[in-house]
Amino acid sequence: MKQSKLAALLGAGLLLGLGVAACGGSDDKTDASDTATATETSEAPPAEETSDEPVAPETEDTGAAGKSGELTVWCWDPAFNLYAMNTAASIYQQTNPDVTVNVVEVAWDDIQTNLITYAQSGAIEELPDIFLCQNNAFQKNVINYPELFSTYTDSGVDFSQYPQSVVDYSVIDGENWGLPFDNGAAIAAYRIDVLEEAGYTLDDFTDITWSQYLEMGKDIKAKTGHALLSGQAGASDMIMMMLQSAGASLFDSEGNPTIAGNDVLLKSIDMYKQLVDAGVMEEYNSWDEYIASFVNGDVVGVINGCWILGSIQTAADQSGKWDLTNLPKLDDVEGATNYSANGGSSWAISANADYELAADFLASTFAGSTELYDSILPSSGALANWLPAAASSVYAEPQPYFNNDAIYAKIVDYASKVPSNNTGVYYYEGRDAVGTAITDILSGGDPETELQEAQEETEFAMG
Amino acid sequence: MISVISDKAKRIWRLVPNYVFLSIASVVSIFPLYFMAVSATNTSQEVLGSKLLPGGNLAENWRNLVANNDVGRALLASFVIAVAITVLSLLVCSIAGYGFEIYHSKGKDVVMAILLLAMMIPFAATMIPLFQLFRNMHMYGSWFAVIIPAISTPFMILLFRQSSRNFPHEVLEAARLDGLRELGIFVRIYMPTMRATYAAAATITFMNAWNNFMWPRVILKPGTQTLPILISNLTAGYVTDYGGLMLAVLLASLPTVVIFLVLQRSFAEGITGAIK
Amino acid sequence: MSQATKSPQEPAKAAKRAPAKKGKPPKRAKQGLLGLEQKRNLTGWTFLIPAALLITVMSFWPMFKAFQLSLQIGKNKLEYADPLWYNYVRLFTKDKTFILTMKNTFLYLIIQVPIMLVLALILAYLLNKKDLRCRALFRTAIFLPCAISLVSYSMVFRTMFAKEGLVNDVLVGLNLLNEPINWLNEPNAARAVIILGLLWRWTGYNMIFYLAGLQNLDYATFEAAKIDGAGPIQTFLHVTIPQLRPMILLTAIMSTNGTLQLFDESYALTGGGPSHQTQTMSHYLFEVSFKNNSNFGYASAISFAILVMVAVLALIQMRVGDKRD
Repeated sequence: MKQSKLAALLGAGLLLGLGVAACGGSDDKTDASDTATATETSEAPPAEETSDEPVAPETEDTGAAGKSGELTVWCWDPAFNLYAMNTAASIYQQTNPDVTVNVVEVAWDDIQTNLITYAQSGAIEELPDIFLCQNNAFQKNVINYPELFSTYTDSGVDFSQYPQSVVDYSVIDGENWGLPFDNGAAIAAYRIDVLEEAGYTLDDFTDITWSQYLEMGKDIKAKTGHALLSGQAGASDMIMMMLQSAGASLFDSEGNPTIAGNDVLLKSIDMYKQLVDAGVMEEYNSWDEYIASFVNGDVVGVINGCWILGSIQTAADQSGKWDLTNLPKLDDVEGATNYSANGGSSWAISANADYELAADFLASTFAGSTELYDSILPSSGALANWLPAAASSVYAEPQPYFNNDAIYAKIVDYASKVPSNNTGVYYYEGRDAVGTAITDILSGGDPETELQEAQEETEFAMG
Repeated sequence: MISVISDKAKRIWRLVPNYVFLSIASVVSIFPLYFMAVSATNTSQEVLGSKLLPGGNLAENWRNLVANNDVGRALLASFVIAVAITVLSLLVCSIAGYGFEIYHSKGKDVVMAILLLAMMIPFAATMIPLFQLFRNMHMYGSWFAVIIPAISTPFMILLFRQSSRNFPHEVLEAARLDGLRELGIFVRIYMPTMRATYAAAATITFMNAWNNFMWPRVILKPGTQTLPILISNLTAGYVTDYGGLMLAVLLASLPTVVIFLVLQRSFAEGITGAIK
Repeated sequence: MSQATKSPQEPAKAAKRAPAKKGKPPKRAKQGLLGLEQKRNLTGWTFLIPAALLITVMSFWPMFKAFQLSLQIGKNKLEYADPLWYNYVRLFTKDKTFILTMKNTFLYLIIQVPIMLVLALILAYLLNKKDLRCRALFRTAIFLPCAISLVSYSMVFRTMFAKEGLVNDVLVGLNLLNEPINWLNEPNAARAVIILGLLWRWTGYNMIFYLAGLQNLDYATFEAAKIDGAGPIQTFLHVTIPQLRPMILLTAIMSTNGTLQLFDESYALTGGGPSHQTQTMSHYLFEVSFKNNSNFGYASAISFAILVMVAVLALIQMRVGDKRD
């Protein structure tokens, strides 16, 4: 009975398979159209040609005429990116009243999922005109799915008005694929009231090295009981910031992983371990707990991308008690600086865009309107990467929450000094592998061996 | 001694362990719900500090939540989709489960075993082909594309098949003698008799449909929100308003709770509908 | 379990079963009545068609496509691998992370599913007492966890199991621990938290299946048991459980399936950490599909590996549990 059941099951499965295969054969039309789009895109070899096609001829500035049409934009975070995009739309509409911009809220994870789904099923025409893309994922997506993107080559955007390190996230083979928007420049924020209590000032933490930071951190811990820094266990954000601050990366320029035996990486991890062992840095298990650690006043300092300022301000009762400066730099590392970045994002023009309109819109707002940046900064804290905007007086205004310091001018200045980061296609894989290595090293593993393993893990993911 | 205690008192006394055990289970079960409800009335900072007492920030949380999110539209979309899935799924799966068990044959056992295989397919694997299928049918972005794949699930069929084993065959034969047609027996006798099973199935199906996240967010066009998508957007920004988040999460949990409360009476009554 | 059938309460059950043998008497009269039997058989098939058709198109067809994918490699433009089973070889012989996630998943399965089902059965049995007060209240409270959004559940659990969280406070306060455990950052402790989370969330869910099953039961058998002088535990073991067998099988298959495809807890509670130590196969599958460089060929191979494991376990369970007579 049981035997026959199994046999029957297998037999039926076979029949089913045949039936399904037959179905596939008879479904010619859809299949054919599918493969048609697939080969079309795959014939045009690397990135450039594909998207140049719809772009090329008529991108001369039409100036006064006023354009018409509709643009659809995907981005996340209503209080930040959507707000900025909507403001840009209304500024653009002052001179181009016939243009409508339809801004749609889509979480970054969903944008990424959609990009993959569309690419895998050849659904290019479902793409919006413009979408926001994480800087760290930019090269990966353009290299993997060039058919989804348009280059900025004919857009009229002057990329020399941006800090090089920020532009580099979305440059592939010398071509620009993204317009930097959200600023990811790293800051070190401190509770100055607690620093004072322990006998320090913000100046003591400016332009310092990590070993100085560690010593002062120990002292503050002893005097006040507070840790100076917190982070999410298993996340490698802090290490990646340390690496980038010295212009180092997990990959060489060819994209090969350089994790094993990477001297800067070893030094960064060693410092990280010392910070954790000394209790100067406190590790938390989740993002929520990490945020809670400084919002609740347990931890009195933060080092992260400047977008973290919004979360710091969640604690209304700490107003006036915070201030910020630049990062500590690595000791004994050539090219070490006090500047780094974490995160940030850039606008991509899709291959399905009304290219001329999308490019003109972006060039005349995000890459050409001081008015835009002046109006979004005070209400959303959205900082410009576009250098001409930083000259505006709005950036020099004192911020009460941050001890009346002109923090925005400071951050824009930091942003211009950040060394470039080599992200490449396998950035996230490398980062994950290093995260694993750090966890193991913290619980006593040998750094050299662990990094060797992380290297192998990354190579495995690449193979 | 024993003779002094009445029969009734003895019975009540015997239930004490039941009460103790069930009370502990209930308290443990309900604690996170309590935290969620309380957090919905607190500020972001208080939620992060795990405050366990109700606060006065409910109105403010609500204002912040609706300011940036079209909660009404997301609720409507979620509701229509979940109800459609539940009704269709119960119909299609119960009649199939009935067919499998009441008209049992070896051939049907084989088909059931094959259908069960479908339950074991991880969804992430079939998502891309399914996406292509619906796009080719020009249904990308349509609510139907969310509903159709969720209607027939091996699990629901199996649930009805297993439950039908307790459906008394005498009743079936009696109904046939009375001249009822096969479909008539299903509608007039089986459906009311199996109320308990329908109630359980409806609760489960609604809950799954209501919480479904992956598929809607892939097959619906970006910007079309259901409640789970809205909630995930709340945590996608740089700054999360935890009070508002907990309020949204509370709103999202309520319908399943209400459905369960309404339907659970049927669980208890299920038996009384049976014709013995 | 089949031993139970020989218990003294059997007569009542047998009496009920007897007529259930699908219209056997008429089988002799070949001409007219076998036609009726055939007709009914056909009716049965038409009842199945809508459901079977939907599953074929919505699950088997994509599954077949996914199987094709699992033999292919490449990130965007997929090509058939050489050898065809390249992805599978890579999965089982080279991918340490997959092997780890497989071990984790089976650990959850072996520890959590039996505890949960026994607990659910006990709860259902305790709740199914006619003279118990506040039944609706208990029932609702115990079911509620699975209706609660994953977001709040994971937040609460993470807070409770934080290093300075409630659980540590209580355990240290009762002198059960000398120093607090960093629950979510130590592999075994974090796995324990995931198992506790699963128990918390799904015990009530399974309980309602048993409750529904208990409602559909034949009360005559309980009366018979009472007359025969069986105690509550005996009745539970020899009358309730055998009759609930179809439902127990259902929940066992469902829980096995659910655990092998477990995603939520790994993703939301621990994020798979520390360093993949609590990650499940489905969570890994998701990362390979959408988080990093999406590798659909490889992801499909993972999903087929999961599928085969679930199918084998389900077949075993059905052999053990699905005896008709």
